Amino acid sequence: MLLDLHTHSVASDDSRATVEQYIKWVNVLRRKGKSIDGFVLTEHRQFDHDVNYASLASDDGIIILKGAELDTDTGHFLVYGISEEITGELDFSDVNMSAQNLVDICDTYGGIAIPAHPGRAGIGFAEYLDRGVTGFETVKSVEQLNGSNRPGEGEKAESLIKAKGYLGTGGSDAHIVSAIGTCMTSFEKEIKNESDLVQELRSGRFTAVRLES
Amino acid sequence: MKKNLYFEDVEIGDDIGPIKRSVTDEDVIEFVSVREKKIIPSRFTSKEVANSEGLPEAIVPGPMNIALMAQVLTDWSDTVCLLKIDVVFRQTVPHNKDLIFSGIVTDKDETGGSTKLECDVVMENSDEVKLVIGTGVIALPNKP
Repeated sequence: MLLDLHTHSVASDDSRATVEQYIKWVNVLRRKGKSIDGFVLTEHRQFDHDVNYASLASDDGIIILKGAELDTDTGHFLVYGISEEITGELDFSDVNMSAQNLVDICDTYGGIAIPAHPGRAGIGFAEYLDRGVTGFETVKSVEQLNGSNRPGEGEKAESLIKAKGYLGTGGSDAHIVSAIGTCMTSFEKEIKNESDLVQELRSGRFTAVRLES
Repeated sequence: MKKNLYFEDVEIGDDIGPIKRSVTDEDVIEFVSVREKKIIPSRFTSKEVANSEGLPEAIVPGPMNIALMAQVLTDWSDTVCLLKIDVVFRQTVPHNKDLIFSGIVTDKDETGGSTKLECDVVMENSDEVKLVIGTGVIALPNKP
């Protein structure tokens, strides 16, 4: 099962794509013979419990899940399986939130936090580890493939993965319609909801993939 | 020579471009001169000023980048009518470097006799780093 784990809709201020447009584009990709089963909306610094995309997605058999991309003191983190307890404990708009606390809170309340684009300067996990930041023993995965990576960022992510033995996810980091699905995560098991997603991410039964050409 | 495109000619997923071009120092001065009779050195026209502001080189002004992104769509065909362009600046755009512009048709709106197309537009440098991304809405006429 192929899911794009990192996408932004117009709910993020730097995106120009609506969820409806993403759905249409996924269908365009499918008509061209590409495989993509769904995507996770990871809006910047926010999470809306009340938004439900199930009705939009069901007609096309596309899985649409919700997460978030948060700014922390150790770079950007993708967060999945966000519960009321997690949003109750954390201020998602805090751009300097403690990443270690974020990871711990997610571990406690059924979510998972994964460093996004770890090779990126300034906002990537690798740079902080290089500076001597320690901890994060429960982090087992990082975003290996990011569709918006700049030259060198992918290589730095690969070096981190190799050095630490991390697993790798994939996501497009799409901010416009046609970018969705460029990088994805291939799961061995079917995922129907956020709980399944967290379970499979914790199981390690996944690999990062690029959209086949 | 550009082909005159009609709404019926275009499918979702059709590519626009790519187009390679660069913006010279002279291009920027010409653009800035439209508003300013006397050019005051700025991050847009002077490497020294740009350096003093922490930039590695002089950069292309934002409105000029928007115009360049719009031009990708309007140059596609003489029949294009640009209705809207909305961009996000992701990186500064340098002078005198290769820039690659491309677009793709992401939707066709035929409701109520509409002949609108939605398009993604991207400006990249030669390393395929996205400098400016955006979306445009254009209209094409129906075939006569």
